Amino acid sequence: MAGFKKIKIKHIFILPTVLILFAFGIFPAVASLLLSFTNFSLAKVGEGFSFVGLTNYLRLFSDARFILSMRNTFIYVILGVGFQYIVGMFLAMLIYEETKINKFYRVVFLIPIMLTPVAIGYTWRMMLHGTYGPINHLLSIINLPGIPWLSSTIVAPLAIMLVDFWQWTPFMILALLAGRMSISPEYYEAAGVDGASKAQVFAYITFPILLPVSLTVILIRAIEVAKIVDIIYVLTGGGPGVSTESITLYGYISGVKQFNLGYASSIAYTILVAIMVFGFIFLRLKERFK
Amino acid sequence: MKQKIPKILSHIILIIWLLFAVFPLYWTFVTSFKKPIDVFQGPKYFPFIDFQPVLTAWKNLFIRDWAQILPPYMNSIIIATISAFLAVIIGSMASYALSRFRFRWRSFSNKDISFWIISQRFFPPIAIVIPVLILFRVLKLLDTRSGMIIVYTAFNLPFAIWLMKDYFESIPQDIEEAAMVDGCSRFQAFLKIVIPLAYPGLITAFLFSFVMSWNEFLFALILTFQNARTIPLIIAGQSTQRGIEWWNISVLAIITILPALLITIIIQKKLISGLTFGAIK
Repeated sequence: MAGFKKIKIKHIFILPTVLILFAFGIFPAVASLLLSFTNFSLAKVGEGFSFVGLTNYLRLFSDARFILSMRNTFIYVILGVGFQYIVGMFLAMLIYEETKINKFYRVVFLIPIMLTPVAIGYTWRMMLHGTYGPINHLLSIINLPGIPWLSSTIVAPLAIMLVDFWQWTPFMILALLAGRMSISPEYYEAAGVDGASKAQVFAYITFPILLPVSLTVILIRAIEVAKIVDIIYVLTGGGPGVSTESITLYGYISGVKQFNLGYASSIAYTILVAIMVFGFIFLRLKERFK
Repeated sequence: MKQKIPKILSHIILIIWLLFAVFPLYWTFVTSFKKPIDVFQGPKYFPFIDFQPVLTAWKNLFIRDWAQILPPYMNSIIIATISAFLAVIIGSMASYALSRFRFRWRSFSNKDISFWIISQRFFPPIAIVIPVLILFRVLKLLDTRSGMIIVYTAFNLPFAIWLMKDYFESIPQDIEEAAMVDGCSRFQAFLKIVIPLAYPGLITAFLFSFVMSWNEFLFALILTFQNARTIPLIIAGQSTQRGIEWWNISVLAIITILPALLITIIIQKKLISGLTFGAIK
């Protein structure tokens, strides 16, 4: 009973959170790791299941659909987030001054972030429609050919990135904007005296100071995009074929549609480990630049 | 003159971005007033100019399909409200504890606990949801509102704690200490003094959690199938029925994004600092 004496009011305050995070953080993490070594299937719950060692993980290597979904997710993260960062940085530099119109831009730019991705997915599916969507129509007005946004295996991944770009570039803008606004004006006054050009000021002052912020926002977005599923689900359903399928979508299909929870867990764990490795490298990089 | 040209150019770029940001919303809005023929005959942009707006789709939703739309809409409202409320209650206790007390367990200190809590957000949901699916089957929580409320409370908790921690840290400790000298218990001081002072932070955390639950898709897709389905699932299921009826989907999309849109505008300032959490520190 001696241990109980140590329980103080502070423990009571934090206990509910700890319990919830155990139930929905640590328990699932351990359980899905264990599951990933079994052949547990929802279709054969009655028959029980057995441990199959590394079978699921070995199967991943020869599963073309898994490799493709991994590659797609990787493209969404690298290309998608990279482009969001560049455009976000550019736009943040245009609206950092405290003027009325800039304040208005900031509010409007924020809107896409919070909107239901499933609804947004449909809106874009409508706009990108090959024959009656406005995007191709607008392209034809300026004499550009129509693009098979959702029906070509090459363009469809770009369409996915376009929607994510629309929804999340604002996040980059706002984070970098906040970073830019917190830089002391003295840096720029000194540069003004030396007669530096705008590009030089950006390259030698703004960009290096914003580097830690940049790494953080890129990391946050990269982790989010690594989990992408809802936009793909409504925009292309993973198609045409499986050309836009992300790792989470494939995990869902093999686990819930094909009932193979053991295999799906090994897929889920692969993303988990990938995210952890990625996060670790990034945090290390950030330390170096601090 | 040298200054003017970049200024004009920057305004042009910003206006282009503004159109890009707003156009999808405009398009959804106008499509909701179109007849099928106005959709399928190529894009029509301006109501009253190149097409005659009608209320058919709105009537379809609010009269013809209302019996099917209302239950999931209510599910969404109930699940998002209660889970956000619980996340704020449980989260405010944790953020308070982290801002007032020192925890020490081996080499684990407050900073590590905070990091552990926020790191939960980066867990891929697909890895969480599979064991939860099995657990919920056993506990008979599948396809129930209670099950979804529990899941979303857990899902929102880390971020709610993160958002509220700053508020608690900014409240001076003297006031509660004075109250405790006067005979208040720690818990009474928390309820009667700290909570009212941290109110704006709690509201922000509540609204943010609400929107996150409202928008959530993957957990709902896997853990519900009939009774507890939420509105994103109804939208996602639209294409499988009578082909794609864009005008109806547009109405559905509007009533779905409307709460999120209003909340975004209400808490926009808090949201900016919240979303960029820690990034600029």
